[in-house]
Amino acid sequence: MKELIEELKVKIIEALNLEEVRPEDIDENASLFGDGLGLDSIDALELIVMMERNYGIKLKDPAQGKEIFKSITVMADYIQKNRTK
Amino acid sequence: MRIKKWLSFSPDSLSLNGETLGVVGGGVEMLHELYRRKVGDYPKFFKMDMLGKLGFVASELLLQSEDAPRFVPREDRSVVFCNRSASLVADRRYQETISDADNYYPSPALFVYTLPNIVTGEIAIRNKYYGETSFVVLEKFDPEQIAMHVAAAFQDPVCQSQLVGWTECSDESHWQCLMLLVEREGELDRHGLAATLERMFTSL
Amino acid sequence: MGAAAPVWITGSGVVSAIGLDKRECLASLLAERSGVGEVQYLQTSHHEFPVGEVKLSNGQMRERLGIAPDALTTRTALMGMLALQEALQEAEVSAGMLPETAFISGTTVGGMDKSEQYYLDFLSGESHMEYIALHDCGSCSEAVAQHFGEWAMVTTPSTACSSAANAIILGANMIRCGEADMVVAGGSECITKFHLNGFHSLMILDERPCRPFDATRNGLNLGEGAAYLVLESAEHAQRRGVPAQAVLSGYGNGCDAFHQTASSPDGEGAFLAMKEALEMAGLSPQDVGYVNAHGTGTPNNDLSESHALRRIFGPQLPPFSSTKPFTGHTTSASGSIEAVFCLLAMRNGFIPANLNWSQPIEEGLVPVTATREAGLEHVLCNAFGFGGNDSSLLFSKPVGR
Repeated sequence: MKELIEELKVKIIEALNLEEVRPEDIDENASLFGDGLGLDSIDALELIVMMERNYGIKLKDPAQGKEIFKSITVMADYIQKNRTK
Repeated sequence: MRIKKWLSFSPDSLSLNGETLGVVGGGVEMLHELYRRKVGDYPKFFKMDMLGKLGFVASELLLQSEDAPRFVPREDRSVVFCNRSASLVADRRYQETISDADNYYPSPALFVYTLPNIVTGEIAIRNKYYGETSFVVLEKFDPEQIAMHVAAAFQDPVCQSQLVGWTECSDESHWQCLMLLVEREGELDRHGLAATLERMFTSL
Repeated sequence: MGAAAPVWITGSGVVSAIGLDKRECLASLLAERSGVGEVQYLQTSHHEFPVGEVKLSNGQMRERLGIAPDALTTRTALMGMLALQEALQEAEVSAGMLPETAFISGTTVGGMDKSEQYYLDFLSGESHMEYIALHDCGSCSEAVAQHFGEWAMVTTPSTACSSAANAIILGANMIRCGEADMVVAGGSECITKFHLNGFHSLMILDERPCRPFDATRNGLNLGEGAAYLVLESAEHAQRRGVPAQAVLSGYGNGCDAFHQTASSPDGEGAFLAMKEALEMAGLSPQDVGYVNAHGTGTPNNDLSESHALRRIFGPQLPPFSSTKPFTGHTTSASGSIEAVFCLLAMRNGFIPANLNWSQPIEEGLVPVTATREAGLEHVLCNAFGFGGNDSSLLFSKPVGR
């Protein structure tokens, strides 16, 4: 799990072009949207693509993302339970 | 009309209100370096496409040189940009995400920038401009036509000034950018504005 | 401030999923017959998304236009030619008048249909390289224009889904500032895999027919088509003895300045555009008899537009509908296609239905759900684009008609 969290930090920085953020700057329990990293709706869609590409998880409804992207810990937990690759 | 501030920018040179500014590196890295040195407080910059980054950096430099409060909501300023290649750089990058059936992941973030007018929206968002925004694709750099678009936009009585741009970008290491802050009141007519644009373009 | 001199509209033409000219589109609107269905012409594996295609192959369009089967052309250009032909005929514009006339055609997709078809060939550089020159948005407008002759000027606004509306605004501004006496303005856009995939990646395509302003709305259906209006100064039209079909009495463009794609919760850009259009025409909101809403059917657009409509009109909204369930969202062409529908509605005294509607949106707005008769003096037509680029056109009946 710890490993997956670290991996996710790197992948999120890369997928969302968070040029000035380092993995160690991200608090895995903080909210990704709103105050946290300040992500927006396009970033959420890009995270959905990232989950499909890397972990074989397909989300059909963008609203599902709201729950899953609450924090990196929540996201890692979801990926661990649902990944197909 | 009156030209209040002006900027011209190519991969080889950058000048603001007639004064040469130093640039470092080349291609998109040059834009990143300028952003870090001159702006630095808008991380969304890094999410933009090439056209967005070019328009954003140029508009920031130009507007920083204007002696006026920034980021105050206003309707009296329009953003009118033109170019030739529309969003070609972003189009290519996005097309690559859908052209291989075995590696098929259309990118929403790239798709958004396949609309050339997103750059005018980005500048409006940054500066809280609620007036007219427009993006026009021309066959080639055509100063008379650009000046005509500016004159037409001043038909709106609310519009007192315009950020006018020629933001052409055919790949990540080639661009031509002229940007002007044009005010409604002043001695220049449309042809005078066109002549100035022509001069700036020639020395680009 | 008094109302500005209105710009006359002396002709119009349209091609869409519900008809290849105005007569056919009118019949479909009156009969509540949608043109949205399973994809038929676009070569794509995405058959799950209903689309509003123009019911002709490129070959059939060439035949109608008398274009050689081997001539290089794009679908956007072909549809544009069909619509422009009808507009020029109605306004009695001959080829001899084109050198004094400007042509403004909005598009964002341009020649992408051919670029995506031959993309791998382009990369290898071995064949179909001649199509590269057709990729640019500007070259599509040039191709449409040149089919009819030489024009004073050709230009291409590209502001996403408000492109055609902004073409009309630019044309009207040119007439008002004395840059032109006559301008033909509108837009053309074909469906491509490129933007079908793009809209899909934004997760805003509905697998069911779109339901604008409905509580269960879940996205848009893509459409395609073209439409143009012939705009003239009153003096110019009177001099050549051509009547006004309608007048463009006001228009506005505002920027939402909120997000690249999402509309602001209070619909600021849309509100400013409608307000400006009314002010220019010297009309009050109560004068508006019908609003053709942008109404794409996405949760975000319809809610934001509802707030903007409430802010303009207060509790008493005029009858409104979105005609996108008929045509799909024709993106860059939607502003002019729906403008032609507004002219048809005014001319023939009816309000087109907002098809597929069953339950009110959170805001409680109820659109016109069945096509019905109505005498209309002034109608407002909205077109909003990504980039927060929001436009509104206000059409009025000509005096004495």
